[in-house]
Amino acid sequence: MSLTFTGASGMDADARRKQLSAALYRVARGDRPALRLVYDMTSAKLFGICLRILNDRSEAEDVLQDVYLTVWRKAASFDEARASPITWLVAIARNRAIDRLRSGGVLRLSEPIEAADAVTDPAPTAAETLEVAQEHKRLKSCLDELEGRTSASIRAAFMDGLTYEELAERSGVPLGTMKSWIRRGLAKLRACLER
Amino acid sequence: MSDNGTRGLEERGTLIAAEYVLGVLDAVQRRAAERRIGRDPAFAREVAFWEERLGGLADAVPPVEPPLDGWARIEAALARADRATEAKPGFWHNLPLWRGLALASSTLAAACIATLIYVGMVPSTAPLLARLDAESGQAGFVAAVSPGGGSLTIVPASLLSAEQKAMELWLIPPGEKPHSLGLIDPDKPVTISVPKSLLPKVNSEAILAVSLEPPGGSPTGQPTGPVIANGKLAAL
Repeated sequence: MSLTFTGASGMDADARRKQLSAALYRVARGDRPALRLVYDMTSAKLFGICLRILNDRSEAEDVLQDVYLTVWRKAASFDEARASPITWLVAIARNRAIDRLRSGGVLRLSEPIEAADAVTDPAPTAAETLEVAQEHKRLKSCLDELEGRTSASIRAAFMDGLTYEELAERSGVPLGTMKSWIRRGLAKLRACLER
Repeated sequence: MSDNGTRGLEERGTLIAAEYVLGVLDAVQRRAAERRIGRDPAFAREVAFWEERLGGLADAVPPVEPPLDGWARIEAALARADRATEAKPGFWHNLPLWRGLALASSTLAAACIATLIYVGMVPSTAPLLARLDAESGQAGFVAAVSPGGGSLTIVPASLLSAEQKAMELWLIPPGEKPHSLGLIDPDKPVTISVPKSLLPKVNSEAILAVSLEPPGGSPTGQPTGPVIANGKLAAL
């Protein structure tokens, strides 16, 4: 089984993070086995993210390939001081998947936001790093300070890559209302995260 | 809460950065945000902030086992990219095809010029011509300057592949740094207007060179990539 970044692997999570950073630096120097290592450590996580956004296995497989080719080309721009390795990889995967979605041609099932929200709080994974766990906890508590509908919309937007229009449609509110919820929510979130 | 909160964020581009990371922007807005990341460091920091903070939401997405041939597909795509990269220098230096064409190359260039004159792209009175050769001595491009010197037509004399690189043409007067004449096309003739300031320098003393640059051209105003062909201008 391939390992996920936060999955229980027997390896200390901080060591995994360091190993992943080191592998990305090697990829930046054109080291292909290092790319394989990055793939083995993160592909299940990134595939899950692509699949969640695209909701289509074949599209998600194409995007996953694209994601690691992007990692191969862009590894030189990874900087441990600016981003954690998994954040960097997740951002690439999400951006690729959302771009594919926006380019059209991907049919999406329309499901109410409540359904999307239901899977956002699974049991915490066993080997989450203390740091990641704390950051996640902080994010969660800041989201919990928002109105329920606002935090649900922000979560749905992030997890499913929905546009304002899609979010508004799914929640059955006017576009302007949805924009206002999310923008105010983001402003509050920003203030809370900076506290 | 008042709208002041969102307005403050909007001014600093924070809101767009957050919306970009959240994923609610449409394709056009996403491209605009990506361009801004490239030129606005404060905006790039905002994007990084949100990626780091909102990234935690991704923990809630359950991992899914990728397809069994997932890695094999990536490896195959990398191998294809390798072959494309190797083909570039190979084309210039190694290909047996080129050895066969070696003797024909000056004829090839002459034929190009003759064709250009024939189709009217280059006036028969063109005072200055240049054959831009690759390191191997093969003709890469043929360039002809218009009679007034105000424009220059450059024609690829062989098949070139630059993948995602741009090809930029440089004028190098003796003892001077290269002056960019703009981007050219590996697939078709391009006519370039020579900037007025450079007009006096387009003469039989100058050299033309083509370099490989990032898409959009050299970011520094000087060649940053390898020079793939160069040649001296000469009166016909």
